[in-house]
Amino acid sequence: MEPILKFDHVIKHYPNGIHALQDVSFSVLPGEFISVIGPSGSGKSTLLRAINKLISVSSGQVLVDGTNISTQSGRVLRVTRCKVGMIFQNYNLVYRLSVLQNALHGRLGHMKGAKGIFGLYTEEDKEKALTLLEELGLGSFCYNRASDLSGGQKQRVGIARAIMQDPKLLLCDEPIASLDPSSAKTIMDILRDVTQKQNIACIVNLHQVDVAIKYSTRIIGLCKGSIVFDGIPDQLTDDVIEKIYGISKENLVIGGSENEESCIADFAN
Amino acid sequence: MKNHVLQISQTEKRVYELFFSLVVVLFILCTAYTQFNPMLLVQNSENFWTFLSEDFFPPTLPGAANLTNIINSVFVTVAMAISATTVAAVLAFFVSLFSSESVSPVPRLAKFVRAFATFLRNIPALVWAFILFSSLGIGTGVGFVALSITSFAFMVRAFAETMEDISQDCLESLQAVGASFPQRVAHGVIPSCISGFLSWFLYCVEVNVRASTIVGMVGGGGIGLVLFSYIKSFKYHIAFSIILLIAVMVIAVDLVSGYLRRELNK
Repeated sequence: MEPILKFDHVIKHYPNGIHALQDVSFSVLPGEFISVIGPSGSGKSTLLRAINKLISVSSGQVLVDGTNISTQSGRVLRVTRCKVGMIFQNYNLVYRLSVLQNALHGRLGHMKGAKGIFGLYTEEDKEKALTLLEELGLGSFCYNRASDLSGGQKQRVGIARAIMQDPKLLLCDEPIASLDPSSAKTIMDILRDVTQKQNIACIVNLHQVDVAIKYSTRIIGLCKGSIVFDGIPDQLTDDVIEKIYGISKENLVIGGSENEESCIADFAN
Repeated sequence: MKNHVLQISQTEKRVYELFFSLVVVLFILCTAYTQFNPMLLVQNSENFWTFLSEDFFPPTLPGAANLTNIINSVFVTVAMAISATTVAAVLAFFVSLFSSESVSPVPRLAKFVRAFATFLRNIPALVWAFILFSSLGIGTGVGFVALSITSFAFMVRAFAETMEDISQDCLESLQAVGASFPQRVAHGVIPSCISGFLSWFLYCVEVNVRASTIVGMVGGGGIGLVLFSYIKSFKYHIAFSIILLIAVMVIAVDLVSGYLRRELNK
């Protein structure tokens, strides 16, 4: 199977001397659900933004669907960006606009000229957006302003916008970092179901190791801009976690129900 | 003697003392430099009061023909301010897109666009009117162009700052969906900034209604020119009515615009 994404010896320096990515190489197959974990400042956000060139890399190649995005610009770059949906920690919606309009923004990359500027979406696109919002449980909020929604609902609009792009790859930059535990679960469930159903590869930046273990088919551990772990969740042992975060596991809040169960199990023994 | 307990630090206290004495010294120096004697006001106050109470007071209305002329020129003044501001706002919108580093497709140029706008803005409308008056002659055309130039420059700056203030997040997400620059402006910048833009626009109308009176006096047409001609021909009673009329006009425009701006910010 052709990889949908390939990082080939990618390096990123910022002008202030920070080496955000150091010789990062990996590839992603369609349908994979990958979590990227690592401490703050380990380069997770840079990694994600290098994929759709919101940040350009210093050297190396980023191949999205077979084309090197790091050398693209203008119209060609926008075509490649269409294939990559993105979900943000702060939802990044246009809050003055309606929920439906925000979801339809996902189509902008596919539109040209005056139609794109004046937002003259096709009837099919509008109906598709309505159905999608309905599926995400936002059916009755389509004409509300995006600013009126709760955090979990805003994130669902963000997902709708990304799915409207018909992406081959979905990037999620800490999608649940600003959400309460119950909304967080809803969002993660939706992400898993949607990507499985449409065979979209998904890369999620996470701070919650337990969530990463529960949902991912593969986990990548970043530390100081380098990949220190790349494997299936079962291989993520305590030693590996300590290596990623550079600190012993007792000093980390891993969270989640598994830990509580093991605590109870300890007491029982 | 008992020591006082200071409420602020010794150094801070010194800074305040120094600052205060500097202000006093500066005031004295400046007053001396202008060679203006405040006592003159008191000495000549009698002249001043006679002028006010006998020449100006009471305000009288001119004949019917002149009255319609005056009322008409009030409307001309307000219309001139509104249309000049509108033209300036449309132009300023397009230019401001290039003067905001976070929105502009060529961020490197932003500084130069800004510098150009600042340069235009720092020449007062009155000076523009004088310059244009020599080339365009007397009339509302001069006032229109003079007001347009200054409010254009002001709004470029104000619009750019409105754009910098909105969260860059939504522009980032539009970039991520592959939206082009005009699409990002139409779907991200305009919806987020439109109320801010309108609010600055209304503020500019207020400023221009006031400014258009003065610009009118030096040849920009409208009520300013009419007032000036009455003053020059020593018809002070009528001039006084016109001044009152101008005050009413400015207050009315301020009230309407203030109301609209409050509604916008809701």
